[in-house]
Amino acid sequence: MSQKYSPQEALQHYFEELLAEDDQPAIQYAEPDPVQQQKLEKLLQSAQPKIIAAPEPEVAAPVAEIQEWEIPAPALETVAAPEAVAVPPEPAPVVTAPDLEPEAEEPEPGKLEESHYTVEGLAWAANGRPVWAQKDFDVLLFQVSGLTLAVPLIALGQIQPLTDELTPLFGQADWFMGLLPSPTGKIRTVNTARFVMPERYDENFVKTAKYVISIDGVPWGLAVDSVNQPITLKPTDVKWRTERTKRPWLAGTVKDHMCALLDIPMVGQMLIDADRNSPGGKSSVKPH
Amino acid sequence: MATTNNVINKSTDDPVLQWVTFRLEGETYGINVMQVQEVLRYSEIAPVPGAPSYVLGIINLRGNVVTVIDTRHRFNLQGGEITDNTRIVIIETEKHVIGILVDSVAEVVYLRQSEIEMAPNVGNEESAKFIQGVCHKNDELLILIDLNKLLSSEEWSELEDL
Repeated sequence: MSQKYSPQEALQHYFEELLAEDDQPAIQYAEPDPVQQQKLEKLLQSAQPKIIAAPEPEVAAPVAEIQEWEIPAPALETVAAPEAVAVPPEPAPVVTAPDLEPEAEEPEPGKLEESHYTVEGLAWAANGRPVWAQKDFDVLLFQVSGLTLAVPLIALGQIQPLTDELTPLFGQADWFMGLLPSPTGKIRTVNTARFVMPERYDENFVKTAKYVISIDGVPWGLAVDSVNQPITLKPTDVKWRTERTKRPWLAGTVKDHMCALLDIPMVGQMLIDADRNSPGGKSSVKPH
Repeated sequence: MATTNNVINKSTDDPVLQWVTFRLEGETYGINVMQVQEVLRYSEIAPVPGAPSYVLGIINLRGNVVTVIDTRHRFNLQGGEITDNTRIVIIETEKHVIGILVDSVAEVVYLRQSEIEMAPNVGNEESAKFIQGVCHKNDELLILIDLNKLLSSEEWSELEDL
C-alpha cells in the first residue's frame, strides 16, 4: 500500500530511513583534490577542536520556522550552461516555469522581505542546476545531529571552533545560536539542526556542535558537529530538486552518499532576508 | 595643523560614548551612561496589584515612587535569584524615570561609535528591538540596550496609571 507524503513528511521519512540503515556499507570517499584538501587542512588548522558545551540558546516563543517559508523559486535565468548540452537530461522537465509547477504557492506578502543585497550564485540554469554546479564541483561533508550534509566548497568561508565565547542574543529566532567572535568578525551562528530539521531537533546539538562553518560573503555561519574531507562531485551525481518553493535551501540529494546537498548561496540569502536589521549593502557584511 | 584638524574631525565623526555595563543571565549588557541616574542595592520592591507582568513593583526613592521593571522578563530570559550583587539601576528615558533590576553592575566602558556593530534581528520577538548594537570589548561581547525602546508608548502610559 502506497502512502502519500507531503514534501516535508517525505524528507523526514527519508531522513528516518537514512538513520535506520545501520548495516549500510561504509561510504568510500573519492580521493580528494590535493588543492582542496590542502585548503581544508589549512582551515582546520586554525580551528582548534575544543569540546566545550555551547551555552543554551535563548528560548524564544514559537515563531514561524524559517524552513517553512514559502518563497518563489528563483526565476530561471538564461545562464549559459557550458558543457551542459552533453549532460543527460534530468528526470524533471527543467523548462517548467516555477509559477506553473503544481506545488508552487504564492508567497504571502511581507513574509519574506526584499533584500537589497543578493548573494552570488543564487541563480539556477535552464538545465535545472545551480550555476555553481554546471561543472564538477567540490563539496564539504559535515555532520549535524547524526545526519550528513553536503555544501559546495566554493561558497564556504572559514571554519571556526565553537567555543563558550558564543554569545546568545535575546529576542531572536530559535535557530539563532548567537554571535561567535572570529578573527574576521562576528559570525552569526545558526543552529543548523534546528534550521534544517526542526521536527527532529535534538536539544543535545548545542552541546555536541564543535565548529561553525561561515558562509562566504555573508556574516552568517552554520554550527556543525564535525567536518569531513571534501569530495568532488559531477553534476550528475546529484538528484537536483525541481520544486524549491519549500525548503529552498535544499538543492538536492547526493546519490552516492544519500545526503542532502545544501544550496548554500540560498541559505545565505535566506539569512540575510530574515534579518530585519540587514541594511542590505555588501559593505555591511564585511567584517570591520 | 592639517594633522590636528584631522584628529579633531575624526573624533567628531567618531564620538566616544560611555556605557554602564551590567550582567544578566551570564551576559554583559550596556546602557548609555547619560541615562543612568544612580545604582541602588536591592531593596524590597512592593508589588502593585494589577500591574503588567513586566513590572516587579515600586520602590520609594527619597520620597519618589519609582516603578521597577523586570528586566529578565522584558528580555525573555528565565527568572533569576536575588543575590548580594543584585542592583536596581535607576534610569531616565525621554519622559520617565524607572528602575531596572539586574544581576550586577560591572563598570563604565568607553566605546567609539565605530566600534558598535548592528546586531541581527531575526525571528518575531518584539524584544529584539531593544538591542541597539553589539561591541567586542575586553574579550567579551557587549550587548548594548536602547532604553528608549524598552517600553512602548502604551506601556509608558500604563506605568503612569499604576
